[in-house]
Amino acid sequence: MTAVIETIGLTKTYGAVRALDGLSLSIPRGGVYGVLGPNGAGKSTLFRILLGLIRPTAGEVRVLGQHAGDPAVMRRIGSMIETPRFPPYMTARQVLEWLALAHGMGKEAAIDAWLDRVGLTEAANRRVRGFSVGMLQRLGVAAALMTKPDLVILDEPTSGMDPPGIQEMRALIRSLADDDGVTIILASHQLLEVQRVCDRVAIFNRGTLAAEGKVSELTAAGERLRLSATPLARIMGVLGDKGSLDGDAVLAAIPRAEGPALLRALIEQGVDIDEARWVGADLESVFMAETGPARTEAQIREALHAG
Amino acid sequence: MLADAIRSESWRLLQNRTAIFWSIFFVPVVGLLVSALGFFLLKSKAAQINGGQLPPELSLGGPLDLGQALASNAGDLANPAILAFLLIGAATLYAGDYRWETWRLISARNSRPNLLLGKVGVLKMLALAAMLIFLLSGALSEVIKAAIFARPLTFTFSATEAGQFGLLFLLSFVRVVQFLMISLLAATVTRSLLAALFIPLVLGIGQFFLGGPFAPLLGLEPGDWLTHLLLPGAAFETLKTLIKGGMAATTLPEGVAIKAIVSLALWSLVPLGAAIAWFSRQDLSKE
Repeated sequence: MTAVIETIGLTKTYGAVRALDGLSLSIPRGGVYGVLGPNGAGKSTLFRILLGLIRPTAGEVRVLGQHAGDPAVMRRIGSMIETPRFPPYMTARQVLEWLALAHGMGKEAAIDAWLDRVGLTEAANRRVRGFSVGMLQRLGVAAALMTKPDLVILDEPTSGMDPPGIQEMRALIRSLADDDGVTIILASHQLLEVQRVCDRVAIFNRGTLAAEGKVSELTAAGERLRLSATPLARIMGVLGDKGSLDGDAVLAAIPRAEGPALLRALIEQGVDIDEARWVGADLESVFMAETGPARTEAQIREALHAG
Repeated sequence: MLADAIRSESWRLLQNRTAIFWSIFFVPVVGLLVSALGFFLLKSKAAQINGGQLPPELSLGGPLDLGQALASNAGDLANPAILAFLLIGAATLYAGDYRWETWRLISARNSRPNLLLGKVGVLKMLALAAMLIFLLSGALSEVIKAAIFARPLTFTFSATEAGQFGLLFLLSFVRVVQFLMISLLAATVTRSLLAALFIPLVLGIGQFFLGGPFAPLLGLEPGDWLTHLLLPGAAFETLKTLIKGGMAATTLPEGVAIKAIVSLALWSLVPLGAAIAWFSRQDLSKE
């Protein structure tokens, strides 16, 4: 599996702050790769380094086999970092025409086709000063894709979009990866979207790599057997610290292979089982496990009252 | 590619009609209107004073020579009004990508020196357009004057005058471009549209006073290296005097031309080089 991105010991500091701390990461060619992490985890810093916008303090980075920022490589990358901005006096079509000229493209830029693909045909001749954040995101994605890159880097591509827009964007990203063979790396805080659209993810925490792998593998690791049964106390007695209450059911943290044995043991103990099914962990629980728990409602209330 | 940078920058500037109007049309249009109004007022006042008749010096002054008007305007193309208003276009071009946070859209597929040189190339075209429009408005002003005062028009332009015109035009162009290089450096270092506009303006005003009222206090002599190196405006005036010739040129010290040329070259190339060097290492994610 060839890597489109390779970083070894990548470090970036801003004064005393270490935005990236010795990051070693390999992103394979093809598919959609998600980069997750709380704010300040180093996602945007990594993207900026990959795009040659900033230089790393230490470590190595190779993009499509070349040094980051190399013009020959940059021509093969499309990107949208944070909410894109454009000269406000231009229309959406003019923005793409301008960028096509800047990228040395002629008619192959297929501006109308891209405006259509991101759902901006009707707004094509409107000045971007009146665009919503979601429309700017769409135009930013069109700008990133119109050069037909091999690698696309998108930072929060669905930020500010309405649900139909998010759905369209998800379909667009998947079609680019599946039909056009483009490798897409995206960062997003919308974990459900990431779970739906990405093949692999990396979870960053404080500038380091906390977890990496296929979405299915990461979520399978947190798989639980959900038991709707009575009495709950007897089940908990059998499971010990491997059991946890989930409403009127119990979640058993055991490997799939131990499932039948557990069920037999519970029946022998006189437990009346209504339903037993495997439930996968969603990406959110994997994310929270890797990046540290969020404050509970009680903790937030306590902090507010203390203040 | 530099050609891509020039094409995209010029195309983008053409979409920004406000910047184009203020940069290249405002000064000649206002100048033309003011001169036409002045001619009308002069005619009406003169006619009132002279009992309904134009005085002979206005009506019988002979034909108005468009060629001579062009020749005399060529030395005046780097005037403060043109410089100040061209700064609007310069600031828009140089600082626009910081202002609208669009550097990262275009910096991915072209080298940074090419991107800056593309802007400089477009600004040179803008400067050229401003100078030509100013010349045209000067000629139009002569046509209006001829119509108002009922004087015939003529066009004479000897080979010597044509050569002088060409040299003065070129010199003015160099001076304009040199002045706008300060805007490039200011925009690149500060990332600010206002700085790109005001730093060259303030520097220019400062240099004006340094070369004028304060020159004797600072011991700046007209033919000195220091005077020329500090004051590119003085270098421009020196070269203009030499091109025009006549008595004024003969009073200039020996070797002053080379000092003036070195001054204009340094004031053009040092800001350009510094801006490219600074820009090449700049963090473009902090726009």
